[in-house]
Amino acid sequence: MEYIYGLIRNLAETGWLPSIFEHTFMIRGLLASLIIGPLLGGIGTVVVTRKLSFFTQTIGNGAMSGVAIGLLMGEPVDATYGGLYGFCLLVALVMTYVKNRSRLANDTVIGVVLAQIFGLGIILMIFVTSQFNIHQVEGILFGSLITLTDLDLITLGVASLLVWILFSWNFNKVMLGGFNAILARSRGLSPVLLEYVFVCLLTLVVVASLKLIGALLVLVLVVVPAAAAQTVVGNLRGFVWLSMVFSTFSTTVGLLLSGLLPVPSGAVIALVSALVFYLALLLRPLLNRVRFRQP
Amino acid sequence: MAVDVEKADTGLGSPGDEPLLKIRDLSVTLKGNRILRGVDLQVRKGNIHALIGPNGAGKTTLIRSITGAIPHRGLIRFFFRGNGRIGYVPQLLEFDRSMPITVFDFFYIMLKRTPIFLGGKRRMREKINRILAATGCEHLMERRIGDLSGGELRRVLLAQALEPKPELLLLDEPASNIDEVGARRFEKMLVELKKRQGLTILMVSHYMQSVLYVADRVTAINGRVIYEGDAQELTLSDLLKTIAT
Repeated sequence: MEYIYGLIRNLAETGWLPSIFEHTFMIRGLLASLIIGPLLGGIGTVVVTRKLSFFTQTIGNGAMSGVAIGLLMGEPVDATYGGLYGFCLLVALVMTYVKNRSRLANDTVIGVVLAQIFGLGIILMIFVTSQFNIHQVEGILFGSLITLTDLDLITLGVASLLVWILFSWNFNKVMLGGFNAILARSRGLSPVLLEYVFVCLLTLVVVASLKLIGALLVLVLVVVPAAAAQTVVGNLRGFVWLSMVFSTFSTTVGLLLSGLLPVPSGAVIALVSALVFYLALLLRPLLNRVRFRQP
Repeated sequence: MAVDVEKADTGLGSPGDEPLLKIRDLSVTLKGNRILRGVDLQVRKGNIHALIGPNGAGKTTLIRSITGAIPHRGLIRFFFRGNGRIGYVPQLLEFDRSMPITVFDFFYIMLKRTPIFLGGKRRMREKINRILAATGCEHLMERRIGDLSGGELRRVLLAQALEPKPELLLLDEPASNIDEVGARRFEKMLVELKKRQGLTILMVSHYMQSVLYVADRVTAINGRVIYEGDAQELTLSDLLKTIAT
């Protein structure tokens, strides 16, 4: 890792990158953005087409309880991976199970689960914060580059690689299942199984990106770049690539701006992402003339 | 007065005797309601077999039982000799019309494992073009699926059902949501497909004239089988009387 940091520091010192990247925490943030940005954009295309925005937000909100559970289990303050991944995965699987079994509308089911985990999260946080440093926990909610460690980066890299492989391998089937479940079933697919696979991948990505963006705003990077891309392109290939470009741009520019301003990185990334969306909306007539052609 | 209807030249003499699908004593109960009870049905190889009945008769339920989409009691037995594939064109395709997916994308994600954002090779375009040509809709390849008309979408769905060539093709109300001209064109296409490819088709339909034009055999159901016979021996008023019982 030190080799990479040294390389980027040199680029900052020689003017190839902004001088803010002379600081290690910013370099970690940049690397995290470049790792997670494209993946959030890619995953976001499925979230948007399958209308899982509220679902994604609920997974993010489970992080509060996940961190508290991790601390109670004795995990280090800045590495509550077991609690985070474990609890958020449980939340995602329970929501998917209830959604497929009940007659309630999807957002009703998600709202019920959201209320439960939020209440649980608040109680657990009050219990644990008397014993631990609250700032570590704030980083989970709002995103904080300061709390990003080398272990976080490595975990992010490994999780991202795993998700990329599985996501790419299943993308076509997941999209077809989201398009129409009956048709997917007639082609020999299992839409319900694909849904479970996808929510597991989504959870991994959401949890991996929490320290960069924060639990309260993780939805922004999953949904907004994909929504911006959808307003501009009319085919799947362009949709995915443009979503990845928008997402990566939002994370890196947002990160850079948050380094210059005394504000959480997640908030700035959210605003940059929103700006990209409105620009795409305004420039849509012009951009539509530059069609994303199939090869 | 009985009205006779033009019968299509389906290219075969009398209907074949070899069964492709046998259903015995099929019963389906959904959410406490008995939809089908004791249904017996036999679809012969190379036939166009029409399934008719009033609304709520269980026609779509029967089709979906054959595809395995819903649980049932009784026996559904296939006598496949090749790939054992069932092609299916649903009556209603519910999907998000705002999805940025073209007809090309639709076929690509169905046929290829390589994710579309890493693929999109020329060979796939040629292959998809050939698939769409089977139902005369090559010109729709770059169109967004959400922008297609009812008739265009039905032809695209038929093209997907035919790839790869199925041993049994299930069509649920193929002429619904299509205008008269489009429906006649679709019927002619079915007859041509049967002549050229020897397809076996089980077709649900509300349109009696359509049934008499293309079908070899007709089964009328209303929770159970109320009539079965050769379409060649039927008139329009026969069919209408059957439905009314």
